[in-house]
Order: sequence, then C-alpha cells, then structure tokens
Amino acid sequence: MKIRFVLMAFLVAGAMSLGLVANASNGGSKDASKDTPAAASAAGADQSTDNQTAAQKENMHLEGERRFRSNCARCHAAPPKFAPRMMATILRHMRVRAAITDQDMHLILRYMTE
Amino acid sequence: MMCRFVWWPRIVAKAGLLGLFFVLSLALQAQDDGFKAVPILTGSTAYFTRVTAGQYQDAPSVSPLLLLPLGDKWLIEAKGSYSDTFSKNAQGDYNGTISYGMAYGQIDYIANRYMTLVAGRFTTPFNIYGERLAPNWIRALQPNPLTSPVTSGSALGGMVRGGVPATDSVNLTYALYFSSNNTHHLLATDRSTGGRIGFFLPHQRLEIGASFQQVLQADRPHSSGIFFEWQSDRAPVTVRSEYARSSGTKGSGYWIESVYRLNQISALRRLELVGRGQQFFAASNLSAATIKKLGALGKDTNEGDFGMNYYLRSDIRASASYGRQFVLGRNANLWTIGMTYRFLMPMLPQGGAR
Repeated sequence: MKIRFVLMAFLVAGAMSLGLVANASNGGSKDASKDTPAAASAAGADQSTDNQTAAQKENMHLEGERRFRSNCARCHAAPPKFAPRMMATILRHMRVRAAITDQDMHLILRYMTE
Repeated sequence: MMCRFVWWPRIVAKAGLLGLFFVLSLALQAQDDGFKAVPILTGSTAYFTRVTAGQYQDAPSVSPLLLLPLGDKWLIEAKGSYSDTFSKNAQGDYNGTISYGMAYGQIDYIANRYMTLVAGRFTTPFNIYGERLAPNWIRALQPNPLTSPVTSGSALGGMVRGGVPATDSVNLTYALYFSSNNTHHLLATDRSTGGRIGFFLPHQRLEIGASFQQVLQADRPHSSGIFFEWQSDRAPVTVRSEYARSSGTKGSGYWIESVYRLNQISALRRLELVGRGQQFFAASNLSAATIKKLGALGKDTNEGDFGMNYYLRSDIRASASYGRQFVLGRNANLWTIGMTYRFLMPMLPQGGAR
C-alpha cells in the first residue's frame, strides 16, 4: 500500500514537472528574443533613438486604443485595466468569442497592460 | 475477468488525475506577449423583476465562466448557468422554478494567426446575438429578441473559426461548425452544420455578415440570416440588427436596436438609452397543433422596447425597460427592472503579478 502511494506521488510529481518543463522550453526562447534587442538598444542608445522609440510607443498606444474602441466597445462598456496576466487570458477568450484578429489581440493586450 | 472490471475504473481515475495535474501545471505557465495567462473565474450574477402581461416574476441568476489557459495556444472555457424564477400565482403566492445548464464547455486551440479550432459544446455561430450580446451584463435590453429561438443555440462537435485582416481596412471573420445530435436533457443539441462570415471595417466601425445553418435530422430545415453592427465615431451611438429566416416551421423575423450613451452630459455620462423594434412572421400553413407546440413562434408578433442602463461602475449596472408586444388577440406590456454584476477573479494567488 505504501509503495503504491509513493508510486502515485512520484507519477503526479513527474506529470507536473513535465508540464512545467514543456512550457519553460516554449517561453524561454521568447523571453530571450525579447531581452536581446532591449539590452542592445540600451547599450547603444542615443538621443534620436530614444525619441524614435518614444514616438513608436506613442503610436502603438494610440493604435491599441483605436483597436480597443473599434473591437471591444462595440459590444460592452469599457472594463477597467486588469492585471497583465488576467488580461492575457481575457484577450485569448475574446479572440475566440469575438473573432478578433491576431494583430488586434496583441495591440489591445499591449494597450490594456501599459 | 472480475478483476479487470474492478481495476479499469481505478486505472482510468489515476490516468485522469495525472492528466489533470499535467494540465494544471501547463496552466500555471501559459504565456501571451510575455504575460503568463492565468486561470480566471468570471461571469455574471443578476436579479430581475419582470412583469409580462400582468404576470410577476422574480429571477435571480448566476452564470459562472471558467477560463483555463494551457500553454500558449490552448484555452478551456466552461460556462454554466443557474436561475430560480419565482412566479406569482392568482392567489398571490410565489412558485419557484429552478433551471440550470451548461451554456458551453469547449477547448480552443489557436492553430495559427488566422485559425482557431474548437471542440466540445459551444454556442452556435449564427449571427451575432447568441455569441456576443447574450450575456445579461452585456445585452442592452434584457428581453430576448423574438428571432432567438429560430435556430439552435448550442452545438456539440467541432468548429473552425478566426479573423483575417483581408486588407488594411477590412477584416474577414469566419466560423464553420458541425454538431452531432445529443438528447441529454441539459445538453440537448441537433445534428447540424453551418457557419458565419463577416466583414469588419475597423475605420468605419461597421460589421456586416451572413449566417447559414442546415439541420441534418427530422424534417431537415435550414436557416439563414444577415446582421450588421455600426458604431459612430463622432457620437456614442451603436446600431445593430439581425434578420433570421427558417425554412421549417420556425418562421422569420428581424430586430433593430440602437444604444446611445449620454457621454456628452457629465451628470448623465453613466446612463445609456436603448430602443429596439422587431417583427416576427410565423411560418404559413401551420396546423393548430403546431401553433400550440411552437408557442411564441406560432404567431405573427410585433414588439417595441425602450430601456435604460445606468452604470454604477463598469461591472455593476442597473437596468429597466418597457416593451409593448402586439400579437393577434393578445397584446401585452413587458416590464423589466433589475441589476447585473460582472465578476472576475484570478484562480491563482499570484494572478496580478507578471
């Protein structure tokens, strides 16, 4: 009986580890690709680059707001900005339910998590 | 032989338990744009008092929705509903009727940027009301449109759907599904197939589209529909409409609804006014028995509704509406007043952190 219990506990721990490892391998490459340009730009940044980046951010913000208004506000009142991890789930749900395009989803997610 | 029957359930239970742990550990690590998506419990609760042709009803209800993201591409969605409707009889006593069910329980797989695969029980993709506007914290008027029962509301099977930016100014949205027949009293669905196609013009904030549904059982009726939704860029006005027609006994009809949010008046900026007009045309040559069986779908009906919603917060809303229904020999007043609350909470303690 004790051996069975240990075996079950081992299997459960194994299953959880596999799940975590599977996702760590997916997320790891994404994080690395995200960090590298950020580090590079920080190292070699000058004033004009900073201005360009600020302008790009502002454009992304405006575009995200526009997409939010045209997609989400058609059906329901604007919700408050939730925590980023919750917004990621909500946007995935709305992508399916309201047929929001991939590009719109990412822009709205960025806008709602700024 | 006996041992095999005893052991199988245990093996299945163990496998299920392992699978559950595996799925939960994936859910802990789901990511979108660098944010790890967390499981969420959301939904709405509502309390409404309705007076329909002098008949009082009080209806508290709750509709919880569980969203469980798995990895980067999967999402499990499960929505239930529970309501208890108390009706006042001629003696002034209240009788309660409990109803509950599963609106949808589906697993979504984001195959690529343009396509999502769905399996399980899902809302039939016919026009826009059922999928997008039906939740009571979203709908502008609480009474259902007369055309809602023209098509089956739920399906059990598979669906492919998505949104594609066709050009810079047009998004194409589509959904195609197949449903099997299911006779379970809570999860009943028809064997059917169909789909919806829509064109969304984001600059004009206009969406137009069409839907089709073919039932593949009994007398095999088909249904078709068209819809549009437009939101003004200059004023907080939304206009939406649907038309649905069935080749069988369920007739045809349309509704058009306008919602105006009084943003320009600071004291009334939380208030929105709603108006809706609709007409329903019963199928011709129905027998008396069929008319009785169809109920509301058996008679030509015209209806006008007017209502208002006051947002105490973005998630708490007080609503009231009045409608006048014109049915041959049985006109009726429809009053509704009540409140809705949309709740949302992460299922993990670190839900707010990155």
